[in-house]
Amino acid sequence: MQTKRTIFPNKFLPYALLAPQLAVTLVFFIWPAAQAVKSSFEREDPFGFRTTFIWFENYTRLFSEPGYLNSLTKTGIFAVSVTLLSMSLSLLLAVAVNRVIKSNRAYTTLLVWPYAVAPVVVGILWWFMFNPTIGIAPYLLRGLGISWNHRVDGNQAMILVVIAASWKQISYNFLFFVAGLQSVPQSLNEAAAIDGAGPFKRFWTIVFPLLSPTTFFLLIVNINYAMFDTFGLIDATTNGGPNQATNILVYKVYADGFLGLNIGSSAAQSVVLMLIVIALTAIQFRFIERRVQY
Amino acid sequence: MATIDLIDLKKNYGNVPAVKGVNLKVADGELIVLVGPSGCGKSTLLRMVAGLETVTSGRLEIGGRDVVKAEPAERDIAMVFQNYALYPHMSVRGNLEYGLKNRGTPRAEIDRRVQEAADILEIGPLLDRKPRQLSGGQRQRVAMGRAIVREPAAFLFDEPLSNLDAKLRVQMRVEIRKLQRRLKTTSLYVTHDQLEAMTLADRLVVMNAGLVEQIGTPTEVYDHPATLFVAGFIGSPPMNLIDVASLSNRRGLDGLPAGTDIIGIRPDVLFLTPQEGISLSMQGTVELLEPIGGESHLHVRLDSSGQSVVLSVPGRPNIAEGSAVTLHARVADIHPFNAQTGRRTDTAVANL
Repeated sequence: MQTKRTIFPNKFLPYALLAPQLAVTLVFFIWPAAQAVKSSFEREDPFGFRTTFIWFENYTRLFSEPGYLNSLTKTGIFAVSVTLLSMSLSLLLAVAVNRVIKSNRAYTTLLVWPYAVAPVVVGILWWFMFNPTIGIAPYLLRGLGISWNHRVDGNQAMILVVIAASWKQISYNFLFFVAGLQSVPQSLNEAAAIDGAGPFKRFWTIVFPLLSPTTFFLLIVNINYAMFDTFGLIDATTNGGPNQATNILVYKVYADGFLGLNIGSSAAQSVVLMLIVIALTAIQFRFIERRVQY
Repeated sequence: MATIDLIDLKKNYGNVPAVKGVNLKVADGELIVLVGPSGCGKSTLLRMVAGLETVTSGRLEIGGRDVVKAEPAERDIAMVFQNYALYPHMSVRGNLEYGLKNRGTPRAEIDRRVQEAADILEIGPLLDRKPRQLSGGQRQRVAMGRAIVREPAAFLFDEPLSNLDAKLRVQMRVEIRKLQRRLKTTSLYVTHDQLEAMTLADRLVVMNAGLVEQIGTPTEVYDHPATLFVAGFIGSPPMNLIDVASLSNRRGLDGLPAGTDIIGIRPDVLFLTPQEGISLSMQGTVELLEPIGGESHLHVRLDSSGQSVVLSVPGRPNIAEGSAVTLHARVADIHPFNAQTGRRTDTAVANL
């Protein structure tokens, strides 16, 4: 890839040009993050009169608290399910659209729409559809003999948020998969067809391996999405309930800090989340540097 | 080992005809080269034989078996693509084995064939490399190897040398010819390079606008081009095609068949000195002298019509640009054509 290099005659101009972005990052990201790290080492009394520096007590408490460990497990289940579901469905759709020649633009446009919907709206949408009292889905499910009530059944609540979160992410994955599929040369498929491989074999032995850079990129992006971008969705559908069944880490930060007013613990949880993001990003950068692995 | 028969084969894209009815019989072990300008339908024809394009109408038989409806894999053919189409995530060995594995060939047999192909093509040391670690010529060999290991009834080549540099192209051309002679596998070879076509082919098929213009051995096609198109396409520099009506001095042309209104003269049978026997002479002015090594191309503008003709002269003649010259051609060397039909007027050339 070619990079364009510009040489500035004035030494201060580059800094001046970067300043607005740096200022925004500093004020809205770095500073709050630093505050979170600071608060995670402190305990505040219920009325906010006094803060005490308590070293790692917030962290040690966190990891011995069953509620937090439960939240970790739920986050794991949620992230893995959302990633697998949305990626496999979007790959399926991308392959299907890639085969249609005439109307693939129309399909692509339609499939990208969900991405434009705000997470909270997505949550409300699915909340209505699966509402045990007025929703269409429980009504249909009752016909199949399944009684749906995600307000009571933790597993059903988890299924609901997984479906809602996956649905929204399919558009994004779909676009990347379509682009990835289009960059696989047609002649490879033709060569494999002559080499005696049927459509399925061709997909799994030729196309899918060549998609692996895209797949890996999406894997990281999807895990990130499921773990951090689904706050609004959880808040609108289940509020982390019933009985902590859908209380994923990012929601628990909010619930403990802003509802439970336990600032110290909430800050410690934020720092743990931050470390996870840093780790995921590091993996991704390392991979992208090495580029395609075939 | 197989014959390939195309019987009135046609291909339309929507309402646009790409191949307008081609008849061709390829004998067992023969190397047929399809040659023509871009968009003449030669690649489409090859892809139809491979099964990568559907057949609109007509019959297509490989080894006497109708394969119009057969999948590419069922046709027992191997194809070498212009961009090689090597699987980038597999090693060279993986590339060679892929087609055999898909067909459930036993392991020992796979190893034997891969080893044999590697020996023939001298790619043994490259077997464990990935395609991106190979040079263009090496990739070309691997692509050939992938075709050889299959031991197919026919090889199909789709402009396999067009991505190589000039020197390598000549070298690989010779190798393909030797290899084909050695394996005696029926082959169809598509190219737009007429030199490649002339040197490789047992028989040439010259195509234009979806139709076959002429089928014949390279020498037949060169010595007796059936149509004006073939005359202008085969040969470098191309044949000079001159409108008879534009000539001021038609002495010597009386003996040509009736209906001749265009004459073709190859650059190497136009001379600056008078020739023995009945001959044609034309006045002209030298426009340009191109020395190309052992011979030179002389571009001359004819005084009678202003048309530019090319003649090849040995060595580097000392002729100033702008000087007046007289060109001579023996009538026996002249190809007579009719502009209306586009065909030769002397003898009909057999096609097929």
